Amino acid sequence: MDDKIKMKVQELLQSGKIKGFLGLRERHGQVGPYLFTDGDDLEGLVVGDRFKPGDSRYPLNKQLMKITRGDPSGCYGVLVRGCDERGLKTLFGSGQIKSEQVVPVGIACPQDLADACECLKPYPDERVAGEAAEPRSFATVAKVEAMELDERFRLWLAEFSKCIKCYGCRNICPMCYCSECTLENKDFGDIGSLPAENPVFHLTRAIHMAGRCIDCGLCNEVCPADIPLRTLYKKIADIVEEEFHCRPGYGSPETPPGLNIRGEELKH
Amino acid sequence: MQYPPNLRVVRVMCSGMVSPDLILRVLSKGADGVLVVGCHLGECHYLEGNLMAAKRVAMLKKLLAFSGIDPGRLRVDWLSSAEAPTFVRVATEFIEEIRALGPSPLRVKA
Ligand code: SF4
Ligand code: SF4
Repeated sequence: MDDKIKMKVQELLQSGKIKGFLGLRERHGQVGPYLFTDGDDLEGLVVGDRFKPGDSRYPLNKQLMKITRGDPSGCYGVLVRGCDERGLKTLFGSGQIKSEQVVPVGIACPQDLADACECLKPYPDERVAGEAAEPRSFATVAKVEAMELDERFRLWLAEFSKCIKCYGCRNICPMCYCSECTLENKDFGDIGSLPAENPVFHLTRAIHMAGRCIDCGLCNEVCPADIPLRTLYKKIADIVEEEFHCRPGYGSPETPPGLNIRGEELKH
Repeated sequence: MQYPPNLRVVRVMCSGMVSPDLILRVLSKGADGVLVVGCHLGECHYLEGNLMAAKRVAMLKKLLAFSGIDPGRLRVDWLSSAEAPTFVRVATEFIEEIRALGPSPLRVKA
């Protein structure tokens, strides 16, 4: 997998099509984001499969947003899995990154990763390496839905009560790009005090991910309290699909959800 | 004509201003239910404010249900300023619905 990517990146860099490739580099046993600018220096380039597939991913699109803003005429390559590609499409659609500034270099995820992620599309449209795995449905969401209301409430409250309000879930999220965050607005919640205002702290973040969350699962991975945040945001994406007939990142990038509300039949 | 005394009216310019954040905040602060009232669909002074409100409430109801809060604690209705008796009826009805649901789990959780 790494070699195919390296060859592709080398070709892109040497042809001058991209100024740099934003990917992952392993150094001293650590995997982190890195902007490769020299085709001869791709030593250390990895795709984030350290001990097992996808165990060292990173919100590269979040860095890409900064890089392309800082250099509005430059074109950059970026490593994308299925989720990252969904993120790119959504960021293009909401005007956060210009599509002409990006050359995605896609990899498909193996089946065990797709299973663990319950991923609806574990591969990007265009891929340089990897075989497309089978999509999986949201079993974790179905499990919650099989419960009675009071059981659900107890479950989520028990989970949310572990939150230490580190904001890690928001900070890692490649789709969180607002300059001012509601979770730090004193009109909406108490700042700097613990416990978090549960469940509302988390429901607020969940509703804000409507039309944004592309189900990468990084929030869930980063959470020091191991709260199953991804399940909550998977549900929000389901709700968006029911209400707006589209799921962020799966359709064409030109129509971000939430804009086509006039002239629609409304049920409530 | 009187609406129930346990209803606290918060006036806004348009139902489109009522963000889900506000509704959640109100629930968090101990309200047992939230009634969002906007102008009739198709009659929004700002064209699509009430359409936004309708979508937001619909989404939030589903999120509340998923997290174990009865979606009946949130209701949206469309009324014009000339319909005071209807407002009183809707408000009274809503209070009865909430009474049947009992106190909000957000209030009694501790
Ligand atoms: S990452 Fe986890 S502990 Fe930190 S704020 Fe988010 S939910 Fe709370
Ligand atoms: S899964 Fe989590 S980190 Fe990824 S886009 Fe959704 S909310 Fe953000």
